[in-house]
Amino acid sequence: MAVTKTEIEKLARLAKLSFSDEENERFTAEFDAIIAFADTINQSIEGGTEQIRSIGARMVSFEALRPDEVAQSLPNDKILSNVEGYNGFFSVERSKK
Amino acid sequence: MRTGIFEFASKLRKREISAVELTKEYIGAIEEKNPTLNAYVHLTFDTALQAAEQADRMLKEGDAPVLCGIPMALKDNICTDGLPTTCCSKILDGFRPYYDAIVWEKLKAHGAVLLGKTNMDEFAMGSTSETSCYGAPLNPINTAYVTGGSSGGSASVVCADLAVYSLGSDTGGSIRLPASFCGVVGLKPTYGAVSRYGLIAYGSSLDQIGPLTSSVKDAAIVFDAIKGGDKRDQTSVDFDYGVLTQALDRDVKGVRIGVAEEFFDGINPEIKSKIEEAITLFEKNGAIIESFRLPALKLSLPVYYIIACAEASSNLGRYDGIRYGNRASSYTSIEDMIVKNRSEGFGDEVKRRIMLGTYVLSSGYYDAYYKKACLIREEINQEFDTVFDKCDVLIAPTAPNTAFPLNYKGASPVEMYLSDICTVSINIAGIPAISVPCGEDAKGLPIGMQIMGKKFDEAKVLQMAYFYEQTAGRKAGVNEGGARV
Repeated sequence: MAVTKTEIEKLARLAKLSFSDEENERFTAEFDAIIAFADTINQSIEGGTEQIRSIGARMVSFEALRPDEVAQSLPNDKILSNVEGYNGFFSVERSKK
Repeated sequence: MRTGIFEFASKLRKREISAVELTKEYIGAIEEKNPTLNAYVHLTFDTALQAAEQADRMLKEGDAPVLCGIPMALKDNICTDGLPTTCCSKILDGFRPYYDAIVWEKLKAHGAVLLGKTNMDEFAMGSTSETSCYGAPLNPINTAYVTGGSSGGSASVVCADLAVYSLGSDTGGSIRLPASFCGVVGLKPTYGAVSRYGLIAYGSSLDQIGPLTSSVKDAAIVFDAIKGGDKRDQTSVDFDYGVLTQALDRDVKGVRIGVAEEFFDGINPEIKSKIEEAITLFEKNGAIIESFRLPALKLSLPVYYIIACAEASSNLGRYDGIRYGNRASSYTSIEDMIVKNRSEGFGDEVKRRIMLGTYVLSSGYYDAYYKKACLIREEINQEFDTVFDKCDVLIAPTAPNTAFPLNYKGASPVEMYLSDICTVSINIAGIPAISVPCGEDAKGLPIGMQIMGKKFDEAKVLQMAYFYEQTAGRKAGVNEGGARV
């Protein structure tokens, strides 16, 4: 299955990534091979993937959730100690419109 | 024979050496060899010496744990309060966590001495450790070859005796593959046996922390210290393992060893023959060998890459460069800033995996890829369960080949993924597995044998590995910390 450059651009937007034209070119070719590899899950196993025993098996169980209790958090100043120049606010450059 | 944890612990207690002196010896060795090996990416000598002084005080007071005063290393994705933790990614450049991972909290309480953080594939995504933003660590056995990945630095420091032991993480083989390539022991515990709190996430349903050591007994000691449930990781559980080191000496007579042909498809003949020799050795000593089929195993690689990348695309969504890490120098909007921070901060392999994860989770493809992969995962689990009803352990190679040459250009990204063929199914099923050295190939590169067990049966896995190591391993040319760098 061939992946187009447009699809790569759409995925990049979803993943909050950007690629130069050269990267996009290379990436589209590599991604084609990667998707072909992912597609091999559709190859047959004994009995065929359509008949695998676990069809309909639980995917994720939401039955065993712990009670939602408020617990002590780490202090803000420690958590934000990696922010450069933090003074109670996040500083970013003024947007250039 | 190389000094192990018990021997160092004994010397420390007899005052033949102090923890500070031992730490200084290791610091000297690191200063000499690390510039070549590039195995450590962050050195923590100041805090190591302080920890060693504290360990000496604990030893003087008596009743100190066995790991007290023993110098060790952590993979650079295990959080250490106030010390650099970067996952070897530019996007976490300069990041210092504000809490300790549970495993490090536990080891600190044992009096462990942390020498530094070890090199790895960026965000643990790779099989050679070459995707590290600090450049690849080198294999001490032969520096023209890779260490394997992603815990390559952790394997390299143990192999070159630049740490007595180290911790790595294993999502699809990242402890066992480098252990195999560097000729050391690597244990991937049962999913849930060790808390992941403070391990920077890659694939949360697959990740597990484990030890890399120079002997099986050391692996048992370190695993014993880090195991156990913790309320901050809801997937971790307390399991009563008893005293693991006491299980090592048990006889292998009557142990049922399973061999599945799917693990041997396409394996380098030299490796295949070494593993077969090892299986014969177990049989001669009374183990019962049985053949099994695991038909769904051939789908384990694409299943792994779909699930791991889907989870990674979600886990790595948090890196926006705002609260920590790489920040672009110019941008036109907040959105543009985040996109630039991520695009400049992540390397190619991480981007490839985020993109694949985004693709398989996106509308229109979810059922065809992610859902189907989850269903086949259940199938793989059931096949392992069926096999483990009839046998105690499975034996297979750890990798289809020995270490690759550095900068090997012959392989595409997909061909590189194939090096995980023997290891990923173990993470999919959540079972424990160890890689133990099993001789070397004609080029003198180490071969690893993988022993898998039932969930929470690390005792049997360690027992079988210990038997092999003691009976044949050393004769077969197992690395004894005799790094030839």
